[in-house]
Amino acid sequence: MASQPVDSVFLEDATWERVDKATGGAAASCFQCGVCTAICPWGLVKEETISIRKIVRQAQLGLPGWSDGLWLCTTCLWCESRCPHEVDITKASLGLRRLAWKERQVPPGLPTLLWNIYFDGNAWGRPPSERPLWAKGMAVKEFAPGDEILLYVGDDAAYDRRVQKVARALVSLLEAAGVTFGTLGEREPSSGDPVRSVGHEEYLAEMIDANARLFQEAGVKTMVTISPHCYDMFANRYPNLSGGFRPLHYSQYLLELIENGRLKFEKKLPLKVTYHDPCYLSRRNDICDEPRQVLRSIPGLELLEMERSRQDTLCCGGGGGRMWMETAGGERFSDLRMREAAETGAEVVVTCCPHCLSCLEASLSVVAESKLRVMDLAEVAHLALQGRTATSDVASRRP
Amino acid sequence: MRPLHIIACVKVVPKPEEIRVDSETWTIQRDGVRSEINPPDMNALEMALALKEQHGGRVTVVAMGPPTFVLYLRLALAMGADEAYLLSDRAFAGADTLATSYTLAQGIRKIGDYDLILCGEESSDGATAQVPPGIAEWLNTAQITYAEDLEVLPGSGMVKARRELTGGYEVIQAPLPCVASVKAGANEPRFMDMERKAWAEAEGPLTVWTATDIDVDPEMIGLPGSPTIVDGVAQAEASERKREFLAGTPEEQAQALVERLRAYL
Amino acid sequence: MTKSLYGAQEASAIWVYLEQNQGRLTGVSLELVGKARELTDGRSIPLVGVLLGDQVSGLAQEAIAAGADEVRVADHPLLRQYTTDGYTKAFTELILAGKPDILLLGATPNGRDLAGRLAVRLRTGLTADCTDLRLEEDTGLLVGEVTGFGGGILAYIKCPDNRPQMATVRPGVFAVPAPDGARQGKVVSVPVNLAKEDIKVQVLEHVDGQGVDITRAQVLVAAGRGCQGDLALINELASLLDGEVGVSRVPVDEGWASRDRMIGQTGYVTRPKLAIVCGISGAFQFSVGIEKAETIVAINTDAEAPIFEQADYCIVDDMFDVLPPLIEAVKRARGGNGGR
Ligand SMILES: Cc1cc2nc3c(=O)[nH]c(=O)nc-3n(C[C@H](O)[C@H](O)[C@H](O)COP(=O)(O)OP(=O)(O)OC[C@H]3O[C@@H](n4cnc5c(N)ncnc54)[C@H](O)[C@@H]3O)c2cc1C
Ligand code: SF4
Ligand code: SF4
Repeated sequence: MASQPVDSVFLEDATWERVDKATGGAAASCFQCGVCTAICPWGLVKEETISIRKIVRQAQLGLPGWSDGLWLCTTCLWCESRCPHEVDITKASLGLRRLAWKERQVPPGLPTLLWNIYFDGNAWGRPPSERPLWAKGMAVKEFAPGDEILLYVGDDAAYDRRVQKVARALVSLLEAAGVTFGTLGEREPSSGDPVRSVGHEEYLAEMIDANARLFQEAGVKTMVTISPHCYDMFANRYPNLSGGFRPLHYSQYLLELIENGRLKFEKKLPLKVTYHDPCYLSRRNDICDEPRQVLRSIPGLELLEMERSRQDTLCCGGGGGRMWMETAGGERFSDLRMREAAETGAEVVVTCCPHCLSCLEASLSVVAESKLRVMDLAEVAHLALQGRTATSDVASRRP
Repeated sequence: MRPLHIIACVKVVPKPEEIRVDSETWTIQRDGVRSEINPPDMNALEMALALKEQHGGRVTVVAMGPPTFVLYLRLALAMGADEAYLLSDRAFAGADTLATSYTLAQGIRKIGDYDLILCGEESSDGATAQVPPGIAEWLNTAQITYAEDLEVLPGSGMVKARRELTGGYEVIQAPLPCVASVKAGANEPRFMDMERKAWAEAEGPLTVWTATDIDVDPEMIGLPGSPTIVDGVAQAEASERKREFLAGTPEEQAQALVERLRAYL
Repeated sequence: MTKSLYGAQEASAIWVYLEQNQGRLTGVSLELVGKARELTDGRSIPLVGVLLGDQVSGLAQEAIAAGADEVRVADHPLLRQYTTDGYTKAFTELILAGKPDILLLGATPNGRDLAGRLAVRLRTGLTADCTDLRLEEDTGLLVGEVTGFGGGILAYIKCPDNRPQMATVRPGVFAVPAPDGARQGKVVSVPVNLAKEDIKVQVLEHVDGQGVDITRAQVLVAAGRGCQGDLALINELASLLDGEVGVSRVPVDEGWASRDRMIGQTGYVTRPKLAIVCGISGAFQFSVGIEKAETIVAINTDAEAPIFEQADYCIVDDMFDVLPPLIEAVKRARGGNGGR
């Protein structure tokens, strides 16, 4: 243990071990300064924010309901970026969730989520045979080792009708750039992100093992993901996938294609947009420039910035398994975010994460007076490629 | 009362969407098909485990089926069951509900010392809902079908449960031992404990019994013991949505819709 | 071969279990009488209704008007409420005395509870939850059509040797026959031997109707933002169809409906037979809660709304224009049906 926790009344007895073990020691260096609690975005919508210190203590005492606040955390990393002691707060909170699984203190719906992944291979409990249906009518083939990239579609783009459009737009872009690519079709596994984000580390380990083997056997080298959450998994949590394995978020890959001159936007797209950084790209993986550069390469497009952007982005509210837990009306970060986006005067808020897309779109009604729409980066790029100016048939429908 | 012993009966069923009828032999293709534990059986298992948590005792799972079911029984162990039994024998094949309930009842007799036997309300493949009452009859116990909120009343040796009926419910009480079929969705089945899973895979107490192990009349099991026969199978029409747009004035649309919905009115 | 308690040579007649609940015949009982009448047409097979309960003989005439030739009534105070033990014992005695060739029951919760137990006591075969019935041309054997594997497979099942040939039939697949008040039939009262000790279970409480539980509803009428807070017509249609009202997330956010009615990913996953979805766009987070419905009707002003991609019957129109005539049309249709 690096440094001894200050609060020795609680932290030195045997109960500490249980918590310390579950969190992998992540909470040990906390000095109780309270910065994280003060900055947590839940403070923007609720009286009480997440206090990792408090939860650790309650967990230690095994107080009934100790885990309640824990499940709010969207793993947005804001607190962590400000912690003076570099406490790995998400590691601590996911570790505590792991403890909560052990002690069966889990919100309803989450066990079903894991069973769905276990029996169906996706977070929605849909048949794997329906996984490739998003590409209906398009020429998307099975990945072969000679292909430039494996397109990792992910559960959201495979099954959510709205996000399917993003995958289809991306395919059009790849085709336009002459990229040879394929998917794993029905065999594509869940990346494990939902499992990680609800803190079931043991099951995650089993999945990672099996998936890594699958990718290796398939001969995957460069992998392009649609979701930042899947990207984060493959980039940071698959230790056995080294050796030439190169995971990319599609925004990075699009930029590569643009820089290599394979993808070029020649027609003007006169559109005022603002870009919403997904936390899993920006804060977690320092990918802030690539999506912006893709947008800037579109002639006629005007990029406006929100106050909170790049590393300081405001979470949409969908991370950390929150997509599977209800957030009451009035407590949704995405409501605030849509207001911030509207204030820029943009016509379209662009993002490149399926969770952000869902959350922001579900909050469209709070900015009903503006003309704001939500689009994915791939959709904007595809629009630019086609030289169309009307966004109506691509963007989200107005409520 | 001695510690509670609950037996949960589980079945492994193919995923509905995977099922195809072989158009030449008119048989159902089950080979290589993805399967799962019958969802209401998961509810029964969860109920058993929750009762064990509350009252102590132990949970035994039992299934009848091919050796491949072992994999799924391990999941039940990983969820928290104490032991598992698989009744597996070629002679059991082709059993209808009479033969199935008889075989399971004989298996349960052999396991012995049971207080409560929990089954799912019905299986997603056969959907007969007959096996639980059948087991109760063979074992000559009380039965509670479509149970939810089941409570064991310690001391009195009784169970109390809410039974779902058409447009209502009743609360009934029955003496132990008792067979209950658990309503689908009565609870949320807990996820496995991965440490237990590793234990279940390495050394889980899982016993396979054949027909000779459980004292069955060979004439009463499998195909010979089944009075019903399948006279043919067919693939039902595809379950894809019809997407039929109804035209006309609101009155005409309403009328057209009602004609299409007769079965539900 | 497991032998039934009597054989095919001794067996005759089709029996229909006339399930009553609190002194009212269930609709499916009459549906079965109607179907059995049709099966016996052109054959000289008597059609017998069986009524168990406490002072229920008054219901016999309803079954006769629907097509029964005879109704056997087992009246006993211990049969006032359905119990597996009491009903199985009384019914078994009736069957062993009358030796029916075929016995049909409605696949209601209690019908299935009883049928499953009876079949084993009689050591006979039971075809459960049939969606159709016919008699085989040459043998006269009962063939039941059942669906399996979530409805993807149809199977045809018969029971050649054991008697009675039992089947439970899903409510609503056959029509309730129009009553013929002039029909004559025998009403026979049969003795019942039942003692308190025969019945192990005790019914503590019996409730018709229940709290909100949209996951159980057979019919769901769902409303979204399009209802603009006005759920009157939705409520009316739902109660007319003996269904429940469900909503998308928007009405919950707006305070038009309570959280326990919310369908979807973070609401409830429902599996009704029929869902009528009004003024809901069909976002994925909503759809995952409704896609297990057998039949989906969508009413939406926007022809491009994604909900139409997931619906069986699509009406592109204002819900407030469609619901009033729909309610009237349902009333008319139900009027002809005698209600259920
Ligand atoms: C993490 C997360 C979880 C979520 N969970 C859920 C969930 O569990 N359940 C859920 O429902 N949503 C959920 N949502 C929200 C979901 O994404 C949608 O925002 C929501 O379902 C939209 O509700 P709606 O269809 O009623 O409203 P809208 O999308 O605004 O649609 C209203 C529809 O009504 C139509 N309409 C308007 N007036 C009329 C009229 N007079 N007659 C007929 N049609 C009319 C319009 O054409 C439109 O299609 C979730 C979102 C997120 C981000
Ligand atoms: S900011 Fe860091 S040191 Fe301060 S209370 Fe939070 S975790 Fe502890
Ligand atoms: S990760 Fe985000 S939501 Fe979680 S505690 Fe930190 S700031 Fe709050």
